[in-house]
Parts: sequence; structure tokens; C-alpha cells
Amino acid sequence: MSDSLRPSAINSQQGPAALWGALPDSMQSVALRLAALAILCLLLSLASEAFFTTSNILNVLRQAALLFLLASGLTLVILTAGLDLSVGANVALSACLAATLIKGTGSIAIGVVAGLSSGLLIGIANGLLITWVRIPPFIATYGMLWILHGITYWFMKGETIHGFPPAFRAIGSGYWLGIPVPVYLMGVFLLIGLVFAQRTRWGQEIYAVGANPEAARLSGVPVKSRLVLVYAVSGAMAGLASLIFLARLNSAEGDIGESLTLPAIAAVLIGGTSLFGGVGSMLGTLIGALILTLVLNGMNLLAINANWQPVVTGVIVVLAVFFDNLTRKGDKR
Amino acid sequence: MQNTSLPLSTSPLEETPLLELRGISKHFTGVQALDDVSIQLYAGEVHMLLGENGAGKSTLMKILCGAYRADAGDFYWQGKPVRIEGPADAQRLGIAVIFQEFTLVPHLSVAQNIFLGREPRGRFPGTVNHGEMRRRAQEIMGQLGMSLDPDTEVAQLGVAQQQLVEIAKAMSQHARILVLDEPTASLSDNETEKLFRMIGQLKQQGVAMVYISHRMAEVFSMGDRITVLRDGKWVGSRMPGDSDPDQLVSLMVGRKVDMTYAREHCKAPGEVALRLQGVTARTGIHDIHLEVRAGEIVGLAGLVGSGRTEVARSIFGADPIESGRVEILGRLQSGGPIMARRLGAALIPESRKSQGLALIRSVSENLVLASLARLFPRGWFVPARQSQESLQLIERLRIATTGPQQLVQFLSGGNQQKVVIGKWLSAQSSLFIFDEPTRGIDVGAKAEIFALIDGLVKKGAAVLMISSELSEIVHVCDRTYVMREGRIAGHLNREQMSEEAILTLGMHHG
Amino acid sequence: MAEPLLNLSAGADTWLRRVRTSGSSSGALMTLIGLCVVFSWITDTFLTSANLVNIATQSTVLLLIALPMTLIIMTEGLDLSIGAVLTVTNVVLAMVAVQTGGVWWALLAALSVGAVFGLVNGSLVARLGIPPFVATLGTLGVAQGLALVLTDGQSVVGIPESVQYFYSGTLAGVPLPLWIAALTYLVFHGVLYHTRFGAYIFALGGNREALSLAGVRTQVYWIAVYIVGGVMAGLAALVLTARISSGHPTAALGMEFDAIAAVALGGTSFEKGKGWLLGTLLGVLAVGVMRNGLNQVGVNSAVQVSAIGFLVIFALMIDAYRGRRA
Repeated sequence: MSDSLRPSAINSQQGPAALWGALPDSMQSVALRLAALAILCLLLSLASEAFFTTSNILNVLRQAALLFLLASGLTLVILTAGLDLSVGANVALSACLAATLIKGTGSIAIGVVAGLSSGLLIGIANGLLITWVRIPPFIATYGMLWILHGITYWFMKGETIHGFPPAFRAIGSGYWLGIPVPVYLMGVFLLIGLVFAQRTRWGQEIYAVGANPEAARLSGVPVKSRLVLVYAVSGAMAGLASLIFLARLNSAEGDIGESLTLPAIAAVLIGGTSLFGGVGSMLGTLIGALILTLVLNGMNLLAINANWQPVVTGVIVVLAVFFDNLTRKGDKR
Repeated sequence: MQNTSLPLSTSPLEETPLLELRGISKHFTGVQALDDVSIQLYAGEVHMLLGENGAGKSTLMKILCGAYRADAGDFYWQGKPVRIEGPADAQRLGIAVIFQEFTLVPHLSVAQNIFLGREPRGRFPGTVNHGEMRRRAQEIMGQLGMSLDPDTEVAQLGVAQQQLVEIAKAMSQHARILVLDEPTASLSDNETEKLFRMIGQLKQQGVAMVYISHRMAEVFSMGDRITVLRDGKWVGSRMPGDSDPDQLVSLMVGRKVDMTYAREHCKAPGEVALRLQGVTARTGIHDIHLEVRAGEIVGLAGLVGSGRTEVARSIFGADPIESGRVEILGRLQSGGPIMARRLGAALIPESRKSQGLALIRSVSENLVLASLARLFPRGWFVPARQSQESLQLIERLRIATTGPQQLVQFLSGGNQQKVVIGKWLSAQSSLFIFDEPTRGIDVGAKAEIFALIDGLVKKGAAVLMISSELSEIVHVCDRTYVMREGRIAGHLNREQMSEEAILTLGMHHG
Repeated sequence: MAEPLLNLSAGADTWLRRVRTSGSSSGALMTLIGLCVVFSWITDTFLTSANLVNIATQSTVLLLIALPMTLIIMTEGLDLSIGAVLTVTNVVLAMVAVQTGGVWWALLAALSVGAVFGLVNGSLVARLGIPPFVATLGTLGVAQGLALVLTDGQSVVGIPESVQYFYSGTLAGVPLPLWIAALTYLVFHGVLYHTRFGAYIFALGGNREALSLAGVRTQVYWIAVYIVGGVMAGLAALVLTARISSGHPTAALGMEFDAIAAVALGGTSFEKGKGWLLGTLLGVLAVGVMRNGLNQVGVNSAVQVSAIGFLVIFALMIDAYRGRRA
């Protein structure tokens, strides 16, 4: 029957429903999350007067910026159906390295370069473990996590480094035109991330690899190179995040950054990127970072014991995966 | 009605069949897998089931074991009507199927596998009486003439022995009917001997067996009765003594109703586009020599499992080769898919959903998947360019879609296939390897696909086409190679090509 | 024929067969011996009987969680939360022990809390189909947070004697923890190789469809494996609490890594349905030796983790290399 050659029935709904249906899935996903964000803001401003103050909003933006920077690289990794559990430890090592060098040589530039390079190299190492030694991503990055953790401790010998030049601290805690510096970085990297993911060939290849790595391979896409690339980027962004983190905390010790991995993953998942790969966006991750930061901020404002935060984050991760599972199981076959 | 060619006293052992299927029909979307099939299984008999790919043998098997439910038809157990509507019914009657994928747990012992889920209880609740289990396993294996140590870990056994364990497992559940799906496919001569001895034992125990095979020698040496299916219908039953291989082959082969497509065959092939010399790979292909020239559609026929897909993958670099040479358009192919693409080759894989397309991506994204480097050389991705390219292809190939943005998973099979072909058109390939191009595609779309393929070679491309539908090969290809058990069994040119000839070459005559 | 109470000969037979056929069997033993040699060469305080007993005793807690981890990994799963769950059960046990002044209610509480976490993990994996590492990563966060919330960041002190006895006490000259370890090992061995549950664990990892085709309710057993993990965390909490004489909100965080490392070193690979308890025991000892030896040389605890990580990656690479050759 030539039934199979006729296009599927055109959506004959009217008005707003038709408009919504005409949007591509990715935009629908982002729009939904923006709505969730807006509702969250509304609820929080009702729940606490301290919410809608300039200082609080700026604080939230600053936190979210840091989270986003870390999560942006992670987004690319998760887009390929992979995972990088080592980002927190990466931040720790890179920050400590940068801190030591800044103190030691007195040069901010050297410290910055060191932090970024360290992040990048760790990322490349992850990529090679996964593509060359063929260790599954979660095992490889999990092992890397502990190795980095150990190296950091050995490096720091249990000491703390603090007190950095104001020029450096400005990166993390400074303002420019009334807005925290990290927020500008967030904007810049949002742009870079968007352009990379949506407007470069490599971005398209990454989405293809995530959607179906075998089909991509059989179409001549250099799958292994692209995988190393995404882990390298994830590492590099961890390096960048470590500098900002360091600048804000104004001190470095062995266990900083440990608590960043779970929120980073949560941000990516809340933003609509699927653990199964091939679906997601930078913009989604940004919104996810904002939503998570707002939730945690709200908990602070409501004076909920801070120790509940990892609990909430953990629950959010599980819920996000659960919904992801549901929707993807519907798609796949 | 049925079985008019059989003499009245049909079975040496019993007059009533142990299990009789009458008028079984099964329909899947778009295809009638079985149409009014009847078959009688007698205790102690080996009933050979023959038919080419797609004849309905595996559907019949699945209905027998309750995995599928027949749309119409009746079952009679020793003359009394019964129902087989699910696995439990089949198990209760004692019907067991030995599939090609084993249901064995690799790191448990033979005895543990045989009694999985039915372990004899030990002294404490929850414990297993290993001694008892071992003893009973040995008993069952002894009855079948097997001498395996019941404590051996199944993963340590070869395929042949694992199969025997599967059979022992079935027998431990008092199977009265055993269905064997090409059991000797991966066995050595020695192992085949052992299997046949066991089958002899089973016959003595009164077990009825359905044996699916493509090897004529086996059919005649082991079979007590032979039934041939074609296109889901029963076409004949014979006793081995009253028949010969040629007769069976002509029963198996026949003209398909929908094959009305004809094309103008290649008169003057051009340069050699693909050449294989002595190609051997770990995937099971040996010493493959073949050649395809520009302007030709060359077929690669053979039974399922004969190695055709493996050849295609080796050409494309999807699997590595151990020895031999692959030359694409005169240049040595020594790398993977990336190199193959660069040399101008294209692979339209067997399972387009899992290997040819990214289902959750759009039509246009899939169409440019192999030509990203060509379209966007400097790295900048311009959606308009992708749009332009994909719209051109959609039009050229007449892909039925609501638009380039539609997700490929919502297209019909035929249109999905067109997207895969379009992908390679965009990559400007000149050697196309099609692996089952019209699988899962209905009649109307098939003709279009063939027209497309014809268009390709008329413009100077070369095509190697793998197909399990003999009539497709005969009508569409200019000439064909036939594979058998990992090697090229023969080559047929235009005059020599016929469905009988292909099937004869493809089956094991030794 | 009657099955003897403890079918030792059959067990030994199968055991020997497994040792012969298990690919990485010699690997685990060699690693352990290698490490012992290295450390006894580096420092002379290593190879003393007191030190060796010390290693064994300290390794008890790890063994108690590495054994269930072996089972979980055999089902193609992973439990990243077990360290955090052990921390929570440690806290709970300590708090209840201080309240009641005795050990048994505290133990019950710990076992229950552990079982609940196990149930959650198992349900997430078996019923909701969430990949194990994500599911347990989530519960890790929950457990970690819970420990902090319950203690408000402070240690719980004042652990009664009756609890401390479980680390410092001896029975017939052998430290109590070693008795607990030995008994637990025997129970796990018995369950894995002599019960239906054990056989089904192999099937859950090796060929899950075969199991459900055989008419077994796979989900029940699958969840049960994770519950075992949780309950063992509760038991391990007893020894842990006794050892550190407190309930501490970060007591065992990260111990899951040691457990996974021990299992990996012991030869249970992350592939389907293959496992070796003795290997895990050797792996636990290897990790224990590693930590003890590095301690003696003065290497920082966190760095020890790196070293173990490298060791595991090295072992995995060798595994992969061997696997590719095969």
C-alpha cells in the first residue's frame, strides 16, 4: 500500500495548541523549564521576604554561575550518553595547583594557566581511559575521582593555602557594573556553549554520537575523537570553575570541590539533558543550574538545616532520571 | 485436503499424530507470516521443516512454543483438541524449542542450568540438594548418551556441548516435542555425529522432533518426513524415500506475487569499483574474492548466517580483516568507516533503525550525517545549508515527511530507508553496499527503492546488494555471487541466474 | 541420598574447580603476596604477627561490605551508596546505643536502617529500571545528608562497653571481629554456592531472561541482593562503631571505593554473572595491606586511595588485555 509513502497526518489543532505543537521538542523542553523557574521564583518570593532583595538575587546568580560553568562541560559529556564523576575532584586538584602556584610565584597568570591546564589534562586522561582502554565512563571517571582526591591530599599535605591577591579574588567575589563577575563568565560561556553545540560541526557530531553511536560510526563520524573531546572540555571547564571557586573562597585545601559533583549532574539533568544521550541543551543546563541554586537558596532562607541539601539534591537526581527513563522508554521502540 | 502426496499409513510408530496443527494462520502488520498451515508430528519421528528465509519456519516455531499466538487454527494433542496460547500451555504439553540464542547461565554448572528454577530442595529452606541435582542431571544426560560432568561451568563448554545441555534441560522437563532450529549450524562433523546419536536416543524414547535445516544431506539422512513451507503456506510434504533434493528445491522456490519490478540490465559495465582478494576475517568469512564494476548491480546471495553481512562490514571497515585486500575504486581500504567513506563507499546496513539512523534526530540531521565534513569544511554549521541540502534530497528521493524537522522515528520503513540512502547521496558516494534494502518495507515502497538503486547505477555508481529474497536478486541484479558458510560458493551471471540455481548453490550439498 | 549438613567435600571440589577455571584467580593471590613482599622489604615493622593480626582485624569492616558488593556486582550492578549507608548506620547505632546503654536495640536499629536503604536501592534498580550507579549515587547523597542531619555535624560519644567489646574483645584468643568476619564469609559462601538465591544471583548477571523464562520472579531476588548490602552495612556498623568508639557523620564515607577496589582486585569482573568470594577476601586483604603498609611509610590516607585506584586501573587494564587476547 502506498500508505507508507504518504506523510503522517498534519496536526489540525487550532490556536495556542497548534503553536505549541509546532515548536521543536527542544524548545518545548526549555520553555517548560523556564516556566518552572518562574513559578519557583514566585513561590520563593512569597515564602520569604529576604528572597527578592538585590543582594540575595545577586548571590543566587553568582552561585548559579559557578554551577553552570561546571555543568556546561558535563552537558556535552552526558549528551554522548556518558558521565564524568570526577569533576568535583578535578576542581579540587586544579584549585590547589593554581593556589600553590599563585602563592609560590606571585603571578596570577601562571596560576590561572596551571589551573586550566590541569583541568584539561585530567579531562583528556578520562577521555583516553574511556576510548582507548575501553573502561566504561562511570567506572573510569569514578576511579579517576579517587585518584585525583588522593593526589590532591598528597599535594597539599593537609595544609590550607589562603589569602590571594585582590585582583585574583575579583574573579570570584568581585563585581563589575554592579553584577558579580562570575555571572559575566556564565554569559560568555553560555554563548560559547550554545554556539559550539548548535552551530559547529563538532556539536552536531556530538549529538549524533549520543543519539546512536553505532550509526554515527558507520556514517564516518570520528566517534572516539569526539568522545575524548567532550571529556577534555568537561575537564577544562572544571579547571575554569576551580579558579572561580578558589577566588571566591579565598582559600584552598584538600577537600574543596568534593561537594560539587552531585549538584553539577543534577543541574544538567534538571535542564532536560538525557542520560541516554542525544537530547539536551546548554540553555537547559543554565536553567537547571538556576533552578537547583534557587531550591538550595530557598532552603537556606527558610532556615532548613544545611545538611539536608545533599539529600535534596540526591532525591532530585533520582527523580530526574526516573522521568527521563519514562519519556525515553516511550521513544525507544 | 493436505498431505495428499503421503501414503495412508504415515508413521511407523503410531497412527495418531502426537501433535497436529490445522489451518494455522498468523498475521503481522503488513505481512501474512503463516497462511492456513497444517502439519502432523508423530512420536519418535524427525520431521524436517524446509523453506527459504521468510517462509514462515520461525513463526511456526514460536507458535509451537507459545511465544506467539496463532490468529486462526487448531491444535490436537493425540487427537484431542488443546489450546496453545502461551508459554505455560506449551510447557504443560511438553513442547520445547531449542533456539539459537541459548537460555543458559554462563557461570553456573551444567546441573544448575538444567534445573534452573526447579532445583531439588536441600535440608534447610532455600538450600539446594546438589548431590540429588547432580545425580538427576547425570541420569538425564545418560539417557541422551551424553557424558558431560554435571559440575562443569557452562561457559567452559563449546557451542556444541551447550546445545546438548539445552536439550538435556528440555528433556528434564519431560519434553515430548522438541523443535531444533538449525542445530548443526555451528558444529563440527564430530559434534554433529554426537548430536545425531542423541537424536537417535530421543527417537527411541518416543520424542517427536521438528528439525529446521538447510543441509540437504541431513534432511535425507535424519529426516523421517519432510515438509516444505513457502511464503507462509504449506506447499508439500514428502517422505525422504520418495523425493530428492532438486524436487525439494523447486518446492521451496517460486514466484512472489509482488515482484513485478523489472529493469534494464547493465550491458557495458565500467571500471572496477570494488575488488576483494582473499579476504578473511574473524567474523567467519574466508578467502573472499569478488568484483563489482561501475554501472552494475551485483548480488550477494546466500542463506542467513552465510556471511554476507560480514563481508559487507569488512568492506566498509566496520569489522577488521585478518588477511586479504579490499580495494575501493582502485585504492586500498585499510581503515575503518571513515576511510571507507572517504574512498567513496557507502553502507546501507541491515538494521537501519539501530545502525543506519539516529531515530531521535530529525530527517535533515540524518541526511547530512555522512557529509558534515563536506558541507561544513571550516567547522561552522549553518542550519540553512543543512536545510537546503536536505530539502534537495527529500525532493530527489521523494521522501514522504512532514518536513526536514520531523524526527526520523516517525517515518515509515520505506521512507526511513530513503533517508539512509539520501545520507550517502549527500556524501557523494559511488560504491553502494546494500544489506537487505527492502526488509520490512511494503510492496509499493520496494519498487521505489529499486528504482532508486537503478538510478544510481545508471549514473555510474556501483552497487553490491545483499538480499534474502531470491526473486529480488534474480530480477534486480545483473549477476550474483552466492555465499555458503562463510565462503563464496559460486557466481552466476545473467543467463545462469535463477532462484533454483541460487538456492542450490547456497545449500549444503555435501 | 541425604545431603550432609555442610557438604564440605562437594564445596571444596567446586571451589577447586572454580580456582582452576577462574581467570584472575592467581592474579588476586599474586597481588596480595606481591604487596606483602614489597612492604616487608620497605619497612621491618610490617611483617610482625602483631601487625598482621592488626591488618586482619581492621579489614573486617571492609570485608563485611565487600562481600555483598561482590554479589551486587555479579548482578551487573553497583552500590555506590554503601559507604554512606554504613556512615548512617554507624550514627544510628551509636545514638541508640548511647540512649539504651546496650548493644542489641542499637544493632537492630542499624540493621533496619540499612535494610531500608537497600530496599530503596533495589527498587530503584529492579522496578524503576534506573541504572545502578545513578540510583546509588542519589541514595549516597541522601544517606550522607541524613548522617549530617542526625548528628548535626558532631560526633556521638559515650559508646557503652557492650558495643566496644565487639572490637576489642577476644574469643579463644582470636579477636572478635575476626570471628564475625569468618562467620560472615562462611554464610556468604554457603548462600552463594549452596542455595537457590545464590544460583539466581549468577543468573541475574549472566542471563536474566533465562531466569524469568524459567518462571522465577527475578525482581524479588534482584531487590534482595541490594537489601543484603544494606543489612550488611548495618552489621558492619557494629564493628565500626566499636572500633572508633563513636558515631561520626563522615565515618565511612568513601569506603565504597575500597569495597569496589577489593572486589575488582579479587577478580570479580564487571562482566556478567561471574564472581569469586575468595577473590574478594584476598582483595580486601590486599587493600588492607596496602593501607597498612602505606601508613607505616607515612603516606597520607587520601593518597593511599590514589594508590589503590592506580592498582585497580592497572588490574583492569591487564584484565582487558588478557580478555582481548583470549
